[in-house]
Amino acid sequence: MTPLASLLKKLIRNSAGHIRYTVAIMGLSIAVFLLLAAVQIQVNYNELLHSRHNRDSIANFLVINKQLTDASLGKTALEDSVIQDIRAQSFVQSVGMLTPGRFRASIQSKSDRFPFYTDISFESVPGAFIDVSGIEWTWKETASYVPVIIPNTFLDMYNFQFSLSQNLPQLTPDIVKMLLFTITVYGPKGTATFNGKIVGFSDRISSMLVPTEFMDWGNRNFATEQIKNPSRLIIRTEDPGNPALTDYLRKHGLTTDAEKTRFSKYRKIVDTVVAISGISGALMLLFALLIFTLFIQLTIASCKEEINLLITLGASPGQLSRFLMNRFFPPNAWMITISFAALGLLQFFLSRYLQQQQVAISGIISVYTLGAAILLGLLIWWANRKTIRNYIYPGS
Amino acid sequence: MLTLNNLMPDPLRERLSGKTSSVWNCTVQFEPGEWVNITAPSGTGKTTFIHILYGLRKDYSGTVLFNQTDLRSLDPDALATVRQQKISIIFQDLKLFPHLTVRENIELKRILQEPYCDAEQVTAMAEQLGIAGILNQPAAICSYGEQQRACIIRALVQPFEWLIMDEPFSHLDIDNIKKAAALIAEECKRRRAGFIVTDLDENNLFPYTHKLHL
Repeated sequence: MTPLASLLKKLIRNSAGHIRYTVAIMGLSIAVFLLLAAVQIQVNYNELLHSRHNRDSIANFLVINKQLTDASLGKTALEDSVIQDIRAQSFVQSVGMLTPGRFRASIQSKSDRFPFYTDISFESVPGAFIDVSGIEWTWKETASYVPVIIPNTFLDMYNFQFSLSQNLPQLTPDIVKMLLFTITVYGPKGTATFNGKIVGFSDRISSMLVPTEFMDWGNRNFATEQIKNPSRLIIRTEDPGNPALTDYLRKHGLTTDAEKTRFSKYRKIVDTVVAISGISGALMLLFALLIFTLFIQLTIASCKEEINLLITLGASPGQLSRFLMNRFFPPNAWMITISFAALGLLQFFLSRYLQQQQVAISGIISVYTLGAAILLGLLIWWANRKTIRNYIYPGS
Repeated sequence: MLTLNNLMPDPLRERLSGKTSSVWNCTVQFEPGEWVNITAPSGTGKTTFIHILYGLRKDYSGTVLFNQTDLRSLDPDALATVRQQKISIIFQDLKLFPHLTVRENIELKRILQEPYCDAEQVTAMAEQLGIAGILNQPAAICSYGEQQRACIIRALVQPFEWLIMDEPFSHLDIDNIKKAAALIAEECKRRRAGFIVTDLDENNLFPYTHKLHL
């Protein structure tokens, strides 16, 4: 402490009471802790939702269709206006149409050891929405086979239900990919046959998928129906748990895989916790700041004569403000640092606990929380400075 | 340079109207380094005049220009700089912090800005004025005369271009007045500073360059 500061300390005493001061500091500490906790909880939740470790690969793509009710039977095509409206929503990053085949088709095994025949219908979707990588997802008329993607659930159904009941061999994905089958397409002009091959399994779309080129060719040459709007579309979204998304779907009579939006209810709980922590933190901060401001005012008021005389003798209001700031702000800075450190410890232990539950969150406090702590520090610094200057500068 | 233009304090306007004065309602200019004596009987505004010069009062008409700057136009921090660097003062009512020691009272003024003199010089001045023995006593328990000498030293430990004094020797005996006047003259010469001293009666304590009647 400088000699001037130690002399000023003798003149400007803390006569507003230590208990009031301690209460003010404690109130501020709790408020800062709650606010920082609110920020950290939000960051943790976002990390759970979006980080590479935790992200569900199917969660960001949702297939949407109209809810099938007695009223909507036969009228499930999505109108252009509905598609445009979905496209315009803030939670939708991109929209892909699931184009249905407008022609009849069947598939038949080429193998005697594994005979099957079934009528089938195909859908196609732009390549960007497919969750099978490392394949050539295209087709042209001269191609030796039509690549097909089937839902993973089909294979599961076959392996764990159908094969057991029919005494058929179980098939691994690799074996299925080796099977060659015949695709027959029927139309007014006759039929056409192609070789077909399963190139991948999708968790995302529960349809038999073919490349858009094949679908367009088939619809052009073998369509038995007029062009109609798609009944299903696939959207890419940042956060399938976004309550706004689920609310939107419900309001517009649309539906999607409920499992994929399961995060929405967790999100609501997290939002509530964050809101309670944030609001109570903000209210406490407000009251604590008021008490602290009052404390500063009382200290200055009780030393008003000394301060006036100091200014009369030539002490500048700036000098006195700096002295008072140096006296009042450091405890606040310490309080923020301690709250931040406590939250850091809590985060570390939470991370270790969640690791045992196979949930990964960072053990280190986030930069957003650090940013919030700095912002709170600036806010308290500003409040202290304003109070001091209001009382020190004559006529202000 | 200090220039007074038609100065008239609001509270004394009625009382001073019709009276002759070489300061009130006149244009007066004090050049740097001038030693000015202003005499006036009680109740004619000596302290008011000193407070106006020091920027403590703003309830007056006319202007006080310090180096061409109107004192009233200075913001609080700029006024503080003037009080730390340009104008020092000895108040009639002393204005010491009673629970600080005499040395602390002087020290506070010495280190409020870049110190002009060191702590040993303070002790030497205290010895010169005969108050070295009470430097570590709280000001409140010193006699008025001792406090007045402490105030004189306090005014001399900072840099200044003008020293303004409001009846600075009112509680000193003639011997101590001479010692104090000698110290003041010495410090003003050292800084080539001017001073303005108000008193009830004329005196020849200093070789004044200007004598005025309030």
